[in-house]
Amino acid sequence: MSTQNPFQDPLRFERRVPECTVVIFGANGDLTRRKLMPALYRLAYDRRLPPGFAVLGISRTPLGDEKFRGKMREAVEQFSEDTKFDAQVWASFAGGLSYIAGDIADPKLYPCLAGKLEEIAKTRPVGGNVLFYLSTQPSQYAEISQGLGAAGLGKGPGWRRLVVEKPFGHDLASARDLSNRLHEVFDESEIYRIDHYLGKETVQNILAFRFGNGTFEPLWNRRYVDHVQITAAESIGVEGRGAYYQETGALADMIQNHLLQVMATIAMEPSASFEARSVRDERSKLLRSIRRMTPDEIRLDTTPGQYGPARIGGQEVPGFRQEPGVDPQSPTDTYAAAAFLVENWRWAGVPFYLRTGKRLPKRVTEIAIQYKPAPLEIFGDQDGAGSASNLLIVRIQPEEGISLKFLSKRPGVGMQLRPVSMDFDYGSSFGERSPSAYETLLLDAMTGDATLYTRQDMVEASWAVVEPIQNVWRETRFEFPNYPAGTWGPPEADAILARRGHAWRRP
Amino acid sequence: MAGTLVPDKILNELNELWVSLGREAQAEGGDGVLRSCTMTLVVLAEAGEDAQALGETLAALMPEHPARAISIRLRGAVPSALSERVYSQCWKPFGQRRQICCEQIEITAADADLADLRPVLLALAAPDLPLVLWCRSPRLAAMPEFGEMAALARKVVVDTVAFPDSKAALRLIAEASARGIPLGDLAWTRLTRWRSMLSQVFENRDCLEQLPGIRTIAVTWGGAYETLAWYMAAWLRDALADAGVRPAVSVRAEGSQSLIRVELAGEGFRLQLHREGDRLLVAVNGLESCANLTEPSDYLMMREELGIVRRDAVFERALTSAARLAYAGDQ
Repeated sequence: MSTQNPFQDPLRFERRVPECTVVIFGANGDLTRRKLMPALYRLAYDRRLPPGFAVLGISRTPLGDEKFRGKMREAVEQFSEDTKFDAQVWASFAGGLSYIAGDIADPKLYPCLAGKLEEIAKTRPVGGNVLFYLSTQPSQYAEISQGLGAAGLGKGPGWRRLVVEKPFGHDLASARDLSNRLHEVFDESEIYRIDHYLGKETVQNILAFRFGNGTFEPLWNRRYVDHVQITAAESIGVEGRGAYYQETGALADMIQNHLLQVMATIAMEPSASFEARSVRDERSKLLRSIRRMTPDEIRLDTTPGQYGPARIGGQEVPGFRQEPGVDPQSPTDTYAAAAFLVENWRWAGVPFYLRTGKRLPKRVTEIAIQYKPAPLEIFGDQDGAGSASNLLIVRIQPEEGISLKFLSKRPGVGMQLRPVSMDFDYGSSFGERSPSAYETLLLDAMTGDATLYTRQDMVEASWAVVEPIQNVWRETRFEFPNYPAGTWGPPEADAILARRGHAWRRP
Repeated sequence: MAGTLVPDKILNELNELWVSLGREAQAEGGDGVLRSCTMTLVVLAEAGEDAQALGETLAALMPEHPARAISIRLRGAVPSALSERVYSQCWKPFGQRRQICCEQIEITAADADLADLRPVLLALAAPDLPLVLWCRSPRLAAMPEFGEMAALARKVVVDTVAFPDSKAALRLIAEASARGIPLGDLAWTRLTRWRSMLSQVFENRDCLEQLPGIRTIAVTWGGAYETLAWYMAAWLRDALADAGVRPAVSVRAEGSQSLIRVELAGEGFRLQLHREGDRLLVAVNGLESCANLTEPSDYLMMREELGIVRRDAVFERALTSAARLAYAGDQ
């Protein structure tokens, strides 16, 4: 008997999702409404989903299938940013949506879920494949996984996969504990830890840019690179998530996962192939090569910040401690900056400066690779422009693209140099729409491609870097707030770079 | 007036065009223009073709496949008459201030001038980027100069549906492919959705298990779709042969309306695909499902072909087999 479909044509056929049921825990939540359902609908709109595809929503709110479909339709209409709502596509997609109400903590929920899955399998060709998506509080992950295991849902006639959202633990020990508890039911290869930054088109393009071209990789090392800056700035505050945010902070919320993953992608060695295991091995190796800082180094090379009130564009903006649900004495970091060193031959001595914060002047995520200046300044340097070194900028959001800044002669008599920018803009160089990160990552999980997902060893390596910083910050009393909303962070962050003769870019 | 084409003059005109576009954009308070180019697209067409429709197709292609488009319109056996003009195709992505522009060169020539155009193309092709030649007329594909032009291209796209003799067309392009010219045929492109839907059926394990029992492949065609039928039959036969299954193949004509129908059948298994209006109906053992399948436009087909500027092993194999199958049917 044939085990492979002989009619495949990967060059021309779009990658399609195999028959499966997606079970969403927390189906009535914000993430489901804003991201998951619009992404699944878009996949249906693009005809990527098979006819038997099914979605089963689970939440505490008592709802029937029809009400659930109605709510999801509203969500899709409201949150599908660049997808036309097509009533016919929706009708066909909605036919596969169903719902059960139940409490995750109630053991009776899981046999009920098993029964519903059997019922779905009788009416739709789902092939016994199930993707469990945990869009719930992280504290419920282990409980759900064990509930699924107790009901025999961790194994089945087809494949079983579990998708979990960050945070993966709140320190190294809790991350390990969570993984261990998930592993009681699911094998590591069946666990998909989602980091939506890795699903962004430009982050994936870093791999294409570095390893698909022969030009840049030879310049991608300590010999030519002076330092690297990774900035993830948000102009908004905590937007009603104050209570949640004050339990995590910028370091754990952004640097431990998103920014260290981006840094790993920028700095990893070339993988032997584009297989998931190979790429993830290299990312993991890089994360393990980041120098663990001593408490003294942490005091010099990292800084937290917290925004205070300010007036921006004629509008009063509250400080973090004035946000609803936030403790007026909260010591939570809404800004974090750190200088990391990678201890390997390629990057020894090259600082990687990471910063992230809320209520910064604008929303921007960029990676800037600052090259060393030319070894000899033959053009003089009257106004400083003549010695500006090359800068390669990978823009992740809001616009995705790559820019290379280099020097050019100013037209006219004399030899005056000016920096110019050569831009590649994703949105305009390719008129094609880029899929959202959730579309990419959901499609990957359903087709079993874990390349862009985080593995247990990567999570642990990140915590091993971040946990010592957390410990020192916890023991230190900072004078918060230390930056007004609408500025680029506290002055202490500038000092981290100034010590090495560098300065933060203004993105 | 005979007229001549001087590549340097055309390139100068292009440069001037960019300077004036930049000035206009600045004068309007915009952020300048971005010159976008990933390939040279040479379109070989009859002068009598609807220029506006072709222009619209090229304009639609540019955002996804930005190219230096060189459109050559041949006026037939008239006295030598070369002329050219350059212009740009610009668009502003939604919400952005900067315009994106691609350059286009339109050349009008007599058939007799075609031989002179090869060196002009050599000079006008965007440096270091692939050149794709899209030949829209079977008459031009049969001209001896066409081969010389094709030799410049990384890919040549034709449409055998437009050829008066389908079998001869298959043989012609199969021979060209055997000589190493990477080809695309819009007749094959029309089948992508059909093949994809058929393949999707066998993603189901139950259907995949039925594969060894398939005994017959039957493809029916009508109107201008004869080459589609040979392609489909050849592709199905080759794919099944890879799985160790060797069914009987039949290809037959039915009526003058362009249509295609496919059936794979065996013990306890029957898969049928056919179109009804704008829908592709797929029936597995009588259980029907449908998907949208509008008649693909030139834009949609070229969009797919320009996305594959390299050898397409599945197509090349299907082409060789289709040409053999078509002529074997005559014996």
